Amino acid sequence: MTRLDATRRIAAACAGDPIVASLGHPAYDLFATGDRDTYFYTWGSMGLASSIGLGLAMAQPHKRVVVIDGDGSLLMNLGSLATIGWLKPRNLVVIVADNRLYGTTGGQETATAHGADLEAAARAMGITATETVRGGAELDLLLARTKDEAGPWVIVAKVEESAPTVKPPQDCVFIKQRFMAAMGVPEGGTQGGPA
Amino acid sequence: MSSPAAPLPWAVGVCAGLHAAGSRHVVYVPDNPLSHVLRVLRESYPDVQTTIATREEEAFGIAAGLYLGGKRPTVMLQSSGLGNSINALTSLVVPYQIPSLILISMRGDEGEWNSAQVPMGRAVAPICTAVGLSHTTATSPETTADTVALVGKTAFMTRMAGVCLLPRRLTVPSVRTGE
Repeated sequence: MTRLDATRRIAAACAGDPIVASLGHPAYDLFATGDRDTYFYTWGSMGLASSIGLGLAMAQPHKRVVVIDGDGSLLMNLGSLATIGWLKPRNLVVIVADNRLYGTTGGQETATAHGADLEAAARAMGITATETVRGGAELDLLLARTKDEAGPWVIVAKVEESAPTVKPPQDCVFIKQRFMAAMGVPEGGTQGGPA
Repeated sequence: MSSPAAPLPWAVGVCAGLHAAGSRHVVYVPDNPLSHVLRVLRESYPDVQTTIATREEEAFGIAAGLYLGGKRPTVMLQSSGLGNSINALTSLVVPYQIPSLILISMRGDEGEWNSAQVPMGRAVAPICTAVGLSHTTATSPETTADTVALVGKTAFMTRMAGVCLLPRRLTVPSVRTGE
């Protein structure tokens, strides 16, 4: 399973749900599956995709909030697993596209290529809904379960790097304003109103 | 020294100010002065949800998510934690124009005893300026509520994060009295 293949399955299973994508190739692949207003593409803040997802899940408890993180990115912010394990937002689904390398920067190996186990890290932080998957059909079944079974979920999807050829929109304020409108909370200043 | 039973006036002001700015979510990494703010929030503001982060840049990530979901977040940190936050500020908060009320409890300013706190303390204001965050200092317990509220309201009206510095001469009464 390539990351693009996994991302297609996530996009299909989570149509209508907000998806926060980690910077670089995870965001590029999400865009490649077909752009949606419900996608929040990050262009920086490496490591913070799961934290952004946590805040969003707290603010919008009735929406299933999906995060597509990378192994290198999550390794940069392992504390996020501790906070998620403490707060236990039922509606948060963190999917780690684990290609065991820093795909956006030239393919240097990460610690998950040498035994670091991000699912075990999540469990150690008190997150109980965790799985590691390798196949597409397996990922589909799991994504279906996240609709009905309480999270927080941490799903480690073992993927191969997929060398994206497209990039998402690059205007950060546009990404934000479009996303917030899609969340039903259009940003103040974008709507007009009484003088 | 104030008795433990009496909340410190500056901390009462901080809480009144962030509440008046419409913030009902505080994400923080604690320090000693901020414990007084947390106590007032716990005792007097049951409608304010507080969330502790493991690291300051994580706090800015959580706050960004809260804002994207329609909330008005406050981020509280010690000045030393600004160093842990710079990438979150420069590649998320500033370019996406994600507002929050940022309250920084100062170390390394007047009254500091720990020289290891001084370099970052001196760098806080220049860093804020360099990355494009406006900053204001709360100067007295009596004016703290107004200052915090104004920084917060301005941030949420303009969709640009704003910083209110809480200096040690405000937050540590013994600095003033020389005790």
